[in-house]
Amino acid sequence: MEYKAPLETYTGRVAEVIIGRGEKALKIGGENVLPFHFFEGEIANPPRLALEVLDTVPTNWAEWDLDPYKDVISDPVRWANKALELGADLVCLRLVSTDPAGQNVPGEKAAELVKKVASAIRSPLIVYGSGDENKDIEVLTKVAEVCAGEVLLLGPVVKENYEPISKAALDHGHCIIAQSPLDINLEKELNVKLLKSFPKERIVIDPLSSALGYGMEYSFTIMERTKHIGIMFGDSTMQMPIIADLASECAKTKQAKESEKQGLLWELVTAISLLLAGANIVILRLPQTLKMLKEVIQGTI
Amino acid sequence: MVLIGESIHIISRRVSDAVKDRNASVIQDLARAQARAGADYIDLNLGPAKKDPVGMTEWLVNVVQEVTDLPLSIDTLNPVAMEAGLRLCKKRPLLNSASGRTDSKAEMLPLAKKYNCDVVISVLTDKGCPPDVDSRTESIMETVSYANELGIPNEDIWVDPIILPVSADQKQVREALEFIKILPDLLPGVKSTVGLSNVSNGTPEELRGILNRTYMVMLGRYGLYSAIADTLDKELVKLNRGEMPHIVDLICKAMDGEPINMSSLSKQEQDYVKTTRVLMGETLYSHAWLEG
Repeated sequence: MEYKAPLETYTGRVAEVIIGRGEKALKIGGENVLPFHFFEGEIANPPRLALEVLDTVPTNWAEWDLDPYKDVISDPVRWANKALELGADLVCLRLVSTDPAGQNVPGEKAAELVKKVASAIRSPLIVYGSGDENKDIEVLTKVAEVCAGEVLLLGPVVKENYEPISKAALDHGHCIIAQSPLDINLEKELNVKLLKSFPKERIVIDPLSSALGYGMEYSFTIMERTKHIGIMFGDSTMQMPIIADLASECAKTKQAKESEKQGLLWELVTAISLLLAGANIVILRLPQTLKMLKEVIQGTI
Repeated sequence: MVLIGESIHIISRRVSDAVKDRNASVIQDLARAQARAGADYIDLNLGPAKKDPVGMTEWLVNVVQEVTDLPLSIDTLNPVAMEAGLRLCKKRPLLNSASGRTDSKAEMLPLAKKYNCDVVISVLTDKGCPPDVDSRTESIMETVSYANELGIPNEDIWVDPIILPVSADQKQVREALEFIKILPDLLPGVKSTVGLSNVSNGTPEELRGILNRTYMVMLGRYGLYSAIADTLDKELVKLNRGEMPHIVDLICKAMDGEPINMSSLSKQEQDYVKTTRVLMGETLYSHAWLEG
């Protein structure tokens, strides 16, 4: 008798989020199967890989991490283009200079830079604020306004500041990253609250991504459960693509600081694991990881 | 269902201050209010009672018995405080609680025999709370048979499956429910009780009531005998008295997964259906489970 592999059918589908204006537009998510279950349904879009770019010269990066960007490190526009040359699908610009505990650059200035980068590159742009929940209100609402029409992916939007930031994103046509602190119940709560005034097709979930050996299993479980609940059980409040922002988490491990090779392995293993858990966008630091991940993904899908 | 009023609880700031200052009126007001509201027992939760366990317990039992004839549930892990309380009770008290823990078997269960009282036995063991129905069963069979050997009959035993907060571990809510369902077959004749409000621990204060009430109805459907609960919640007492049968029907329907037309329901009815689905583990819990 011929063997027939058992196949599952699922009731839910992850929303397809489109970021970037016009020809730059990039589709994220949209699958109606669990991660890499391409034999059971449709994976509308492969996972997207981003490289990170800082708005200021990094002070705590390992020497070998700086190497590929040596010539462009003080110019975010050139750095972003370099990241794309190295194979990134898109760029993640971190507004670290806006951190009130650091340079405390005002939102207006940060917004100008975002606009400059966004209009100079051929890919869509992810923008992360400093993570200070108050300062991010000023910074991200200004970015949303100044970059109206660019369809940025803006974050992090958290429980404490989602109202003003999501409103600005809505008014100026951007997408947002809903971030919760490694807790699936809080993740859902934020989604439910956002969905009252914000469309599902413009939200990406960031459950926080810990590095291998530093709590990665928590991130893995939450991403995996998010997909189960959204795709298998059809909970519409959990049907958004997931972003795994793991670059700096991996880079700050003891192992990555010790040697270049360990750092590479750390980022690669963490990224592959979180892709298997269901991440739709991964933010990386190392071009070499990016190259290897591309091969993995293209060989599978 | 027998309701044990939970309000005299040492974790409450008001109660702990009153106990420290020996302020009888605060305690007596709480006792009277619960008695009026319909409590069948008054729980006296003394916590660990490390300082002056005997003096504190005796004072508390006496001031409460001055204003109510209801039987008392003496709620402490300290066997010295427990014995001081049981000794003074005028009505047959409830020892709350013993468990499968080694120290509890050695020090608490013999007190239940000595004072010929009812006793709560929880499924806790030296390893903590058993994670599923099978391990809860294993634990309780062992502890109850130990109690039987001491001469405590099943009829005096109130089994506690240990309720955990839905916001912390949603799966455990269902496990405890299933355990209550099979309990009469496991141990014929035993009674049962739960610390009901624990299901809503960690949930925003204004949303706790509906979780407590819905879970009470669900457990009651499967034969739960009693609950340590917030008897000052009027709707909870009404539900327990059978004065809201349409809500009970709705909760049962939701438990059975019957199709329910939400748009034909009032906000209150919708909330009970949503809450049942969360407690059954059908929808993922979040603090916003009633919204959207």
